[in-house]
Amino acid sequence: MSGSNRLAGLKARPKDTTIEEVRRVDEVGEARGFLDRTPRKKPGRKPSPRTYQLHPKVFPRVGEAIAAEAERLGITQGQLIELMWEKYEG
Amino acid sequence: MPVIVMASPKGGVGKSTCAVLLASEFARMSADVTVLDCDPNKSLTRWASHGLPAGVTLKSEIGRSEIVPTIRSADGDGKIVIVDLEGVASQLVSRAISQADLVIVPMQPTALDAEIGSEALALVREEEEALGRSIRHAVVLTKTSAAVRSRVQKELEEQLRGAGIDVIEPSLVARAAFSELFAYGGDLTAMMNDPEMMTGGKVDKALINAQAFAEAVYERLK
Repeated sequence: MSGSNRLAGLKARPKDTTIEEVRRVDEVGEARGFLDRTPRKKPGRKPSPRTYQLHPKVFPRVGEAIAAEAERLGITQGQLIELMWEKYEG
Repeated sequence: MPVIVMASPKGGVGKSTCAVLLASEFARMSADVTVLDCDPNKSLTRWASHGLPAGVTLKSEIGRSEIVPTIRSADGDGKIVIVDLEGVASQLVSRAISQADLVIVPMQPTALDAEIGSEALALVREEEEALGRSIRHAVVLTKTSAAVRSRVQKELEEQLRGAGIDVIEPSLVARAAFSELFAYGGDLTAMMNDPEMMTGGKVDKALINAQAFAEAVYERLK
């Protein structure tokens, strides 16, 4: 089975796929145990995208600088603020 | 162009292997083949990750709601569409069958495979009735012995033919090269020509088997 493309002559049979037809197929399948097995999505609210905003009153450039420094040190912004607080108290 | 669907609610019967062999053989005949990987185990995606044969395109992660439009859009491109389904009884399977020009039900020659595989055959017949059109379907026996045709295999073939079910000849023999395709990607011809690829079996025999299988499928699509 090689050489010229013999498959080019193959034709698909017409299949009118209406919503009604899909519903009928689902019904036939369900009666035989072919059920909807789509995995259910995880319940609950999806996590919000990170904004890196520390507080609405903090200037964005300060917030961004703190975020960048925390990332550079490999710690969270909260941990960096704890370090800053220690310095402030000391 | 035709849509070929591999269906069986039983896992491990050789649906993905059949899909890979047909896709590579039809592509070798200069056809554009689109393969839809609808199996959560992503066997075809794993095969494709090692390299697809020229002429084969893969689409993966297709769920129940996407299967009909995906088949229709791929079909409209003038390509041969091969659908590899999950080995469970799901609506995804029943919807894919409704879009098929040929449903292939792979089955190992065992009583369990025959019993579970017959559910797919029954579903095809019920869909034919519900839709008022015929859906061509056939069984291919897989992982058969290269040396002998076992008694169970002979009996199963007789039973299937007796029930008016089309049985594809030749069966797909248990060959190491078939399973190794998923480790190396590509097709059997590439495997045979590449000395780097180490196979535990006879690739030439596997290739002859795959070509004869593809030819038998082609005859059913004419």
